[in-house]
Amino acid sequence: MDLSSVFFIGNIMNLERIPNEEKLSLCRRYYLGGFAFLPFLWLVNVLWFFREAFLKPTYTEQLQIKSYVKKSALGLIVWVAVLTTWITIFQHFRAQWGEVGDYLSFTIPLGTA
Amino acid sequence: MCVSSAAGVCSSSVEQKIYVELNETVPCVRLLNATHQIGCQSSMSGDTGVLHVLETQSDLDWILSSGPHPPYMVIMETAFFNRSVMMRMKNSSRVSGVAVIVSKTGLAQNFSPHTTCPNQNTDVYSESYGSELANCNVTVWNPLGNGLSYEDFSFPVFALKDENQTQVIRKCYEDHNQRVNGSAPHYPLCAMQLFSHMHAVTDTVTCMRRTDLQNRFSINPEVLCDPLSDFNVWTSTRPLNSSAKGHAANESVVIAAARLDGRSFFWEQAPAAEGTVSGIITLLAAIQALYPVTQEAPPPRNIFFTFFQGEAFDYIGSSKMVYDMEKNDFVIDLKNVHSILEIGQVGLHSGRSLWMHSDPVSRKNDSVNEAVSEMMNRMESAAAGLSVSVGHPSFSQPLPPSSLQRFLRAGPIPGLVLADHQKSFSNRYYESMYDDAENLNVTYPPGLTPDEQLVYETDAAKSLAEVATLVARSLYLQAGGENNSLSNITADPKTVAQLLYGFLVQKNNSWFRSLLPPEVSKKGVNSILSPGPPQFYIGLGPRIHGPVHSVTRFVQYILANLTGTVTNLTESQCQNPSELSTENKDLFSYFWVSGPASVNSTGEPFCVRASVRLSEAVSPAFELLEYGSRNYSTWTESRWKSIRARIFLVASRELEMLTLGVGVAVLLLSLLVTYFISSKAELLFSSARDTPTTAY
Repeated sequence: MDLSSVFFIGNIMNLERIPNEEKLSLCRRYYLGGFAFLPFLWLVNVLWFFREAFLKPTYTEQLQIKSYVKKSALGLIVWVAVLTTWITIFQHFRAQWGEVGDYLSFTIPLGTA
Repeated sequence: MCVSSAAGVCSSSVEQKIYVELNETVPCVRLLNATHQIGCQSSMSGDTGVLHVLETQSDLDWILSSGPHPPYMVIMETAFFNRSVMMRMKNSSRVSGVAVIVSKTGLAQNFSPHTTCPNQNTDVYSESYGSELANCNVTVWNPLGNGLSYEDFSFPVFALKDENQTQVIRKCYEDHNQRVNGSAPHYPLCAMQLFSHMHAVTDTVTCMRRTDLQNRFSINPEVLCDPLSDFNVWTSTRPLNSSAKGHAANESVVIAAARLDGRSFFWEQAPAAEGTVSGIITLLAAIQALYPVTQEAPPPRNIFFTFFQGEAFDYIGSSKMVYDMEKNDFVIDLKNVHSILEIGQVGLHSGRSLWMHSDPVSRKNDSVNEAVSEMMNRMESAAAGLSVSVGHPSFSQPLPPSSLQRFLRAGPIPGLVLADHQKSFSNRYYESMYDDAENLNVTYPPGLTPDEQLVYETDAAKSLAEVATLVARSLYLQAGGENNSLSNITADPKTVAQLLYGFLVQKNNSWFRSLLPPEVSKKGVNSILSPGPPQFYIGLGPRIHGPVHSVTRFVQYILANLTGTVTNLTESQCQNPSELSTENKDLFSYFWVSGPASVNSTGEPFCVRASVRLSEAVSPAFELLEYGSRNYSTWTESRWKSIRARIFLVASRELEMLTLGVGVAVLLLSLLVTYFISSKAELLFSSARDTPTTAY
């Protein structure tokens, strides 16, 4: 990787010098991408645009960016709740489910039920 | 610093200063069947505990309740290895493992870790067949059994057989862990770590299912368990065509059977002297006595001798043979079978009589009853003139656990089981590590060389030879032979003595070496001729364990020696006899054996032709893929990565926490100092002259 691409990524991470329309389109792309079973995109969206949406002085696109960030946060919370519940149930009951548990597992621990 | 040694094992001198590895480990492993798991399991990274020697009752209380340094690793003296102590250990959370000292001092009068009613789920007596006789209702065959082998322990249990190693452990204990005047010892204490992590869990069904899933979907498939399997050995007085399967025309066969295997609480330890070896030797000596007469004056019926492997684990070998016979996949089938004589435990009769056990349910049928009575009469007449007498139990008693029961499951066949016990077993150490030469009263006077011991005829040898003569004569009569040839049938006590020495004391002897192939004697540590007596545990078969199980090989080659004829084929002809027109690979097997060695030279190898064959002994449940079968044996043995043990000194918990705390404190302090120095860098590191600017 040469120095120019390092500077380019540094600019992307730093939203200071991007025009507002590009910020909005970036936020929208991350929001839409998260619907493809990619909750981490929503997480990145929330963390990255949080300051832009809520802590910066108002500008035209900020309202839409704010709504995208809120919706991403909502989707993220739903995903976290579902995954936590499923993982807890699976870890607790996998041994009792016998055959079904084995078919659902990717790696089965050795030597314990 | 890690210095690689020639063996590729990384040995660091720091590790050697801390840990003392124990080389000879005898673990207890996990076995599974259709519904349960038995045996022992350790954690994946081993179980550690502070050593404590269990010699007195107060030691037991110390370990289980009052000792201040739990969990403990118990060094158990022989006298304490019984059911009550082990169950208390199992239920306690303060025990992290047990190492049992195996010795004759302090050994109780009887010790049998097997169940009281062996193989009760796979024998012939059930709800539909003699239900009042099932589950040992009438006679408890092994009343001294404590069932330890069939319990499931969640901590490792090892056996300490090597006296020197036990001494090392005791010394460590005495130096560091001994109680002084009743007060607790101080840290550092001697601790032991046992590794025996087993991969399989729950039961055979689960374990085979997971193995199948691994094989189908995983990049690196891991096999979790393997079925117990090996080979049965069989031969016959008239050769049978091994390529012709199913019903053999014009063959009426008398089957003479014995079992080949045994077991104990620990893995691969099974001296099985009275339980198994007595039967094997009797049948082998009977075959030697009978064979020449059957060639000179052949009786009308064929006599089929077979040694079943795996009978301790729900009749693996015999159920497989019966299954093959039913499917017409064997050289004979059940309609060819005229009658069956099985040799059970016959070693401890010493002057008393032997007993002929029969099945009362099948004898309700008149023709079967007549055949069985005739068999008993023939046996009694064969015993006339011998110093051993035979009788039959006076009351209606079921058959003891025997391979005959699996044949009876397939149909009513007249049969007898010959044993030295009328009701319960006379064997006080049934299926345990203590069922060895001493249990059979096989002892040699001191001062004999190994070769002299090999041919020394003990009283046990003489009495087993009598039993073998009885068996041989009965078989000859049962096969329809004439009475007047009977006196020529006598078992040779010298052969019996050699067999006793080879199977109970030392398998690496000159006689065994002479009748095995030459390459067996030359191999290294893993040869089947390693020092000591052979162990009769069935194992996992040649796929997993390398060469064929040693006992199966010995019996096969001994039979070849006793019943075969010497040929003058060369080695390559012996490997491929089908190229020669005079040799018939369907009727015979060809063995290239070493020959007797003399003082100045090793023997001249030669080719032996004999009608001895091996047949696979793997439970039909694994062929039918019915892993939860209730009809066939489903025993499997778990796999593991490493089994080892080591001792070392441990420090107290407080010292460990203190060391950790100091380390964390040093880390935080160093971070603080670094931050402080870096923030005040210009102040601390300013120099007189200016640093030249460099272009970036």
